[in-house]
Amino acid sequence: MTSILINAFKRLHLSIVPQIRIISSGYTTAVTTSGDAISVTQKEWKFPPVYTKPREVWIESLDTVEEKKLGLFELHPLVYAAVPRIDIIHRNVVWQQKYRWVSWAHTKTRAEVRGGGKKPWPQKGLGRARHGSIRSPLWRGGGIAHGPRSGKSHFFMLPFHLRIHGLTSTLSAKLAQDDLHIVKDLEIPSDEPEYLIDLIENRNWGPSVLIVDDTDIAPRNITVATENLPHVNIMPVYGLNVYSMLKHDTLLLTLSAAEKIEERILHHLHSVTNEQQAEFKLSQI
Amino acid sequence: MEWLGSTILKTFWRPSVNVVRTRYHADKTRLVRRHGYEEKIWCGGLLPRTVGKPLPIPEYRPANVWTERKALFGQNDYIDILGPGNLHPVKTLYNVPTWIRGVSGHEYHILLRKKKMFAKTGSPKIRPTKWKELEKRLSFLYRKLNRKTKTGPSPD
Repeated sequence: MTSILINAFKRLHLSIVPQIRIISSGYTTAVTTSGDAISVTQKEWKFPPVYTKPREVWIESLDTVEEKKLGLFELHPLVYAAVPRIDIIHRNVVWQQKYRWVSWAHTKTRAEVRGGGKKPWPQKGLGRARHGSIRSPLWRGGGIAHGPRSGKSHFFMLPFHLRIHGLTSTLSAKLAQDDLHIVKDLEIPSDEPEYLIDLIENRNWGPSVLIVDDTDIAPRNITVATENLPHVNIMPVYGLNVYSMLKHDTLLLTLSAAEKIEERILHHLHSVTNEQQAEFKLSQI
Repeated sequence: MEWLGSTILKTFWRPSVNVVRTRYHADKTRLVRRHGYEEKIWCGGLLPRTVGKPLPIPEYRPANVWTERKALFGQNDYIDILGPGNLHPVKTLYNVPTWIRGVSGHEYHILLRKKKMFAKTGSPKIRPTKWKELEKRLSFLYRKLNRKTKTGPSPD
């Protein structure tokens, strides 16, 4: 009797231990273990994290409405676990709004309003106020003094590393708030929008989802399904930005997109960026 | 003797006294001033506006915040970081005219650039009034900036 119990305990113990070991083992070796249910992937980075541990996320899939965890995936802490500086995020959003903003508000000056060449009445002798033009700013229907002039640009460039920091801050905030999800790929079984709506509802992804893929062309089913859902949008990796991440409630990355973002940002964080940091000149573009 | 009797009675028999109100505030009659005069002005408070035109409050029509332009606002703004690196985000501002794309400065500088870029096109011939106004504004701003404004704090 006791031996049976002990054996059972041993079996239990054995079935738990390997998983824990694999999860907590070093990150320098690339190991892919397919256990009973989950696979744990550890990556070999070009710039491995030195002081902080990599962040682990679940790999999900869009095959079923219910959430199913396919495995564990590691994200680089420099990109996905940076200090979420909300002031930098705010500066990025303000920059995104301003650098494209040209105000086209326009008023005509007294020189541009039609007419007004003749002196309306003699300077003296009538007992009336002296006036030289009926288009003076004092007059009704006259020109506007110091009004808005068309083509007012609000352009400026945010420093390069502030923009990188904005991206990492926002990604980290999203991950920390459980709003960043990683999926294997974007294949869904049907092209019905209802399927996607059910899925988002079931997994509590909130009112809007931003889907980011590595490729320019997303699978047919998901593009058809999201066509009439204005709050579910698909973007390539290079289209990702701070404003969209904040506008959408949930950020859905594919595995390759997450790796690509990581690779690009790590590349810039570990290279000489004098060229990008230099002051913006119109001739450079 | 009578005094003694009442004193004894008072020491032995002390009834508990309750103050009972028989005349409440609401039952009291008010002092009537100017009897027979009817007040013609309404003094019972604010009244709803039932007659005449309603106040011109516009009907609330919330804007659609998920139109394509708003939903994808800001796309490609980080293309120099996340993309291959050979494209500047200013180059993706397709809906901004080229003569003002990525330009910042005073009205005079922006107009100078506009004039420089439009001079080569047919614009001066096709839109002569616009061209004349542009040149007029430029000369006005030139005179204002160079002859009537100080250029900044003095060096000492």
